[in-house]
Amino acid sequence: MSLRVIVADDSKVMRQIVVRTLRQAGYGDWEVTEATNGAEALELALAQQPDLVLSDWNMPEMTGIELLRRLSAATDIPLGFITSEGSPQMRELAQSEGALFLIAKPFTPDAFRSTIDPFLA
Amino acid sequence: MTETMGDHVVAIAQDLFSAMVDGEPGHLAEGPGHPSPLSEPVRAWVDIRGERPLRTLVATGRDTADRITRALLDLEPREDVATADVRDALGEIANVIGGNVKGLLPEHPALSLPVVVFGGSAPDGVPLWTRSLQWHDEALVVSMWDVPVNQEEYL
Repeated sequence: MSLRVIVADDSKVMRQIVVRTLRQAGYGDWEVTEATNGAEALELALAQQPDLVLSDWNMPEMTGIELLRRLSAATDIPLGFITSEGSPQMRELAQSEGALFLIAKPFTPDAFRSTIDPFLA
Repeated sequence: MTETMGDHVVAIAQDLFSAMVDGEPGHLAEGPGHPSPLSEPVRAWVDIRGERPLRTLVATGRDTADRITRALLDLEPREDVATADVRDALGEIANVIGGNVKGLLPEHPALSLPVVVFGGSAPDGVPLWTRSLQWHDEALVVSMWDVPVNQEEYL
């Protein structure tokens, strides 16, 4: 299944790693647009109506959780976090705000597959 | 802050390098107890907000920082790397380690953005602990500090 996805992270290096890991996990046919912070991701998401947003949590301009809140208020576009902050508290907050999932950094292609595949079924 | 936290942080760093830098385990190991001075040091850190703000800092030499950046960006061994990419790569190393440390400290609610400094001397103060590591036989030092009072605005 080919999806249109926005990858939001203020680190170019991390965006590149996420895109590479998506490819290694078997999602190489996904059409990926990159955003450098939450505000840019929100603007792109509202304009492009992607199938999924994959977002870092800790970003300048607009954090990932604020992006999720703004996105949820305006659309049904699902958001999954890819963040170094994978504590139970953060996972609980992400879930309570409606995030689809949270993948903790560091991650592997296997972690991507086992987390994302159930939502594609 | 105990050596136990240091053990956790070393494990986090090893997971990070295995998963995202080397693509396989075993290339980041415990090094000599007292690290040698770093050549052209690059220091990257994030601060963790809390009643006692803490800083996790990663330091290595410039050549090693370039090599880590090439590995993260999937570049060829001798390919040129931009300083901005080295800043980004080392900042992410610090960010992933700091984010995982924050997860071990439930009373610490927020993480700063990474700060990366090229050259210069070590920060003022005494680290709470320091762990000297070797990545492919090159020195990499991870340490934890109290955030200096006059720098708390970075939080």
